[in-house]
Amino acid sequence: MPARACPLTPMIQDMTMTLTEAGLYRLMTWLSPSYPLGAFSCSHGLEYAVEAQLVRDAPSLTRWLGATIARGAGSVDAALLAAAWRAATAGDATACERVTALAAAWRGTAETALESAGQGEAFVAVTLSVWTEPILANLAAKLGRKIPLSVAVGIAAAGHGIALEPTIFAFLQSFAANLVSAGVRLIPLGQTDGQRAIAALEPEISRATAAALAADLDDIGTATPLIDWCSMKHETQYTRLYRS
Amino acid sequence: MPYDSLSLQRADGFAEMVFAKTKSRTGLVHLYQHDPCRVLFPQAEPGNPPTAVVLTTSGGVTGGDRLRLSIAARDGAAATVISQAAEKVYRSLGPDCRMDISAEVGKAWLEWLPQETILFDGARLRRNTCVDVAAGGQFLACEMLVFGRIARGERYATGLLHDGWRVLRGGHLTWVDVLRLDGAIADTIDHASAFGGATSVASAIYVADDGPSHLEAARSLAARAEGRAGVTCVNGVLLARFLGEAETVRRDLTSYLAECRHLFGGLPPRLPRVWYN
Repeated sequence: MPARACPLTPMIQDMTMTLTEAGLYRLMTWLSPSYPLGAFSCSHGLEYAVEAQLVRDAPSLTRWLGATIARGAGSVDAALLAAAWRAATAGDATACERVTALAAAWRGTAETALESAGQGEAFVAVTLSVWTEPILANLAAKLGRKIPLSVAVGIAAAGHGIALEPTIFAFLQSFAANLVSAGVRLIPLGQTDGQRAIAALEPEISRATAAALAADLDDIGTATPLIDWCSMKHETQYTRLYRS
Repeated sequence: MPYDSLSLQRADGFAEMVFAKTKSRTGLVHLYQHDPCRVLFPQAEPGNPPTAVVLTTSGGVTGGDRLRLSIAARDGAAATVISQAAEKVYRSLGPDCRMDISAEVGKAWLEWLPQETILFDGARLRRNTCVDVAAGGQFLACEMLVFGRIARGERYATGLLHDGWRVLRGGHLTWVDVLRLDGAIADTIDHASAFGGATSVASAIYVADDGPSHLEAARSLAARAEGRAGVTCVNGVLLARFLGEAETVRRDLTSYLAECRHLFGGLPPRLPRVWYN
């Protein structure tokens, strides 16, 4: 019979933690475009969506990214981040390894897998050098640095005592903001329209954060086959600026 | 009155089969079946390995039903497992219908090619497919979903679909995918960035050591599709997806799979006959 997804039940009352100034500083640093993860080269299939004219203006970009966050990889990654944060906060190294394996396996396409693994590896490398803490260091020592980004961020946040909810919120905001930048270049859109898209996505990110906090890993999934299709088609797109 | 206290009959079906190499050819070395699951073994079509046809004697499944299917192909075996007809999942009064499918592939060839699953409005299906393929093994599988009885103008607007895949290689988790529809399902299907109005989706996966080397060939096959089709090789799994109207998706999936079994397994470039009825 199929093995069930890792049972990682919340053991910590993560809702009671508040975000400290130090926590905010770290989240803003790790999830800013200047943290060297190579996010600028990722479009999550958006480059093909623009080519196929599925995305052509600010409203269609907002809709596309809303789906990516709430029904696509964003929702799964946010739930995996939460599971990793809880495992690390509970000091459960085996659960950390399990969620790492699950996150590495749970990828829709070759290029979205590369996005997550490439950025994760870069995140681990720089975070271990600058923001050292033992949980991520031990996991990387055991499994290597190719830890999916969602899991690496969740574990680093737990290791630094940063509350879960703002971590998920900031993670999803940075995912969305990066794709908005890609959209601004690809469609192309004016900078102000790009910022309008970011403003319009706030409620979606808020809802996706709440959903990830409550998520059971046995009860989540994606409903965005069209985004996967775009990512597949991007692999053979003739002219491309982005790696994914 | 809570649903559980209603005295509705619920199905708990089970089918288990093991194929192994006996003398020079593959034989069925173990079979267990429990209603409403039934397995038939028609004469294999020329050039095809032993073929099992699974069916549900109840004609369809509904909330509270549980069906389990377990297939193993041991070293040296080759087998094809198909379904006799489309699986209908009726409206549920509350509980989910659960289907668990597991496959274990040794150094063997196994095809799991069920026909489409039709989700009636209100259907609640929780299906998990888990396959473990050993080094040297080859596994070709598909699944196709149809959202509502389209010909009658019915849409799949409410219910639950949780359709999960887990692929292991030699016991090591390699690929996970879950398609999940919950809540406002009609909105998600109409959403220009989720399904783009596709009333059917299908996937085909090929798990084998040589999977990645067939990526180019698989792309050329998918390029012939009439509907939206794409191919990728993710974590070593060769994955194709098809989206569109049910008839188009079925045609695209059928011709893709037929060519795959020919290219990857040296079998006739045609699916077993039931697929074309």
